[in-house]
Amino acid sequence: MNERIIGKNLVKVDARAKVTGRALYPDDLYFAEMLYVKVKRAVHPHAILRKLEISRAQQLPGVVKIITAADYPELNNFGLIIKDQPVLVGIGEKMRYLGDALAIVVAESKEAAGQALAQIRVEVEELEVIDDPRRAMEEQAPLLHPDGNILCRHQLNKGELERGLAAADLIIEQEYKTNRVEQLPLQPEAGVCVYDQETGVLKLWVATQWLHDTQADIAQALGIPPERVRIIQPVIGGAFGKREDISVHIHLALAALATRRPVKLTYTREESMITQSKRHPMIIRAKSGATRDGYLTAWQVEIIGDTGAYASSGPAVVHKGLYHCTGPYNVENVRGIAYTVYTNNTYSGAMRGFGATQLAFAYESQIDILAHRLRIDPARFRYQNAYRPGSSTPNGQVLTDSVNVRETIKEAVQMSNWPGGVEL
Amino acid sequence: MQIRLTVNGEERVVETTATTRLLDLLRTDLKLTGTKEGCGKGECGACTVLLNGQLVASCLLLAPQADRAEIITIEGIGSAEGLDPIQESYLEAGAVQCGFCTPGMILASKKLLEENPRPTVEEIRRGLSGNLCRCTGYHKIIAAVRLSAQKMADKGEGKDE
Ligand code: FES
Ligand code: FES
Repeated sequence: MNERIIGKNLVKVDARAKVTGRALYPDDLYFAEMLYVKVKRAVHPHAILRKLEISRAQQLPGVVKIITAADYPELNNFGLIIKDQPVLVGIGEKMRYLGDALAIVVAESKEAAGQALAQIRVEVEELEVIDDPRRAMEEQAPLLHPDGNILCRHQLNKGELERGLAAADLIIEQEYKTNRVEQLPLQPEAGVCVYDQETGVLKLWVATQWLHDTQADIAQALGIPPERVRIIQPVIGGAFGKREDISVHIHLALAALATRRPVKLTYTREESMITQSKRHPMIIRAKSGATRDGYLTAWQVEIIGDTGAYASSGPAVVHKGLYHCTGPYNVENVRGIAYTVYTNNTYSGAMRGFGATQLAFAYESQIDILAHRLRIDPARFRYQNAYRPGSSTPNGQVLTDSVNVRETIKEAVQMSNWPGGVEL
Repeated sequence: MQIRLTVNGEERVVETTATTRLLDLLRTDLKLTGTKEGCGKGECGACTVLLNGQLVASCLLLAPQADRAEIITIEGIGSAEGLDPIQESYLEAGAVQCGFCTPGMILASKKLLEENPRPTVEEIRRGLSGNLCRCTGYHKIIAAVRLSAQKMADKGEGKDE
């Protein structure tokens, strides 16, 4: 065979279907007798549900079924790493952010489902809303989850921080904050579910990033074996980390089970923004030391990652941020601690970079400040501290292959006509 | 209520309501699901169609506003035999990733090239400014529009000879 693939431009397999409008995304699927689902969301970011009055909504024309936690007392919580997220909030239970689900409305049309949502009456007992992770970490702060507001702590120790600080001619300490970021794939969450009564299998067409984890999570939440859940991946309208979490899946499954008819649930953009994950906002305290001739000797960080109401991928994201605390720069003495903290904000999860992105803001700023204060060209300062083969990362991994950051800096300096015109 | 409209060259009579959006009429009643909903608020351009030759956000129009109108959706671009040069260019330039913005982008590109067959990069950016893409970073979409202009010019010259 002499067909060459490498170095050739190939047309994506599904591109033709996409340019002609024939590619089928989950919201493009229609089944006979299909019903439409909408979800009644929390009315307060932190409150106990006292009353849920659905009888008026239930009587509206076109409404087929309204499902609440009382209908399915055996449901289990779900979640990517920790099962801390309820499928539905029951009476006497807590809503922890504005995306929590209180009731599932199934109706003959989207409009009828929407009207029913407006007729559901909710009474709650309001609790203190914790929107700042620092407040969540205080001793007397109300607990969002029974095991405390600090979901996890990760630590890092390389070399001897004190020795590194003692060797430094200049030490700077700064605090950085990054924002919550929405991944915003262009297609809002959507799905269709068909319950096959003969085989007992729930067939779900939902765009999702972790097909098998999602299948297992849906099954355990419903208390059924995974082989009774089949996920068929339609065309995905972007993901960027946001489709790692459960969204429409379990609510669709319940609606299909309760009505025995095909059901569709499509989020509005607002619903997508309020209910589904975000990039973690982080508070990063960094202390860095360097010698007069511009070599880093010590680096200390404390990271607080706001994971919002539920864990999602939070523990892994914030942990990864910690490992990237010095970026591509070699430091022999590093100490760090990272806290993943619950708040009443929309939960945070995966987004491109998975925690590494936030830290870049802190370490690149530290590098610039140090270079400026030491009167060393910032490109040179980066170049002489950058990893080379044999360097080790803050978590002790020795780098052997593909350590090209110095070459990259060199080329960037040339290509950008860097005004310092440094000789590297 | 009943409305009458021409969609992709075909006359259609549809039973609808005064509050149905044109987007829902196309997607749900006519099953033309190539037109997408990204925001429902006129922000993203995924629902773009041509109405009497004008680019419109079909999420912002009510179905009765399309009574007697002529509508072109992505399904009306190209033919059974082959793709339109714009569609071909999107394929060849690698301008399609998740594809959710693509139908709207192609219609906006078509309108732009009809009005300005040789747009500059700046004019392309302006022409597509009503359409968001979250995947590509736009570079390849701009390349696709430039390639389309080239292909259409080559075809035009071919005809003259
Ligand atoms: S869906 Fe119409 S502009 Fe976004
Ligand atoms: S290709 Fe995904 S939004 Fe443009």
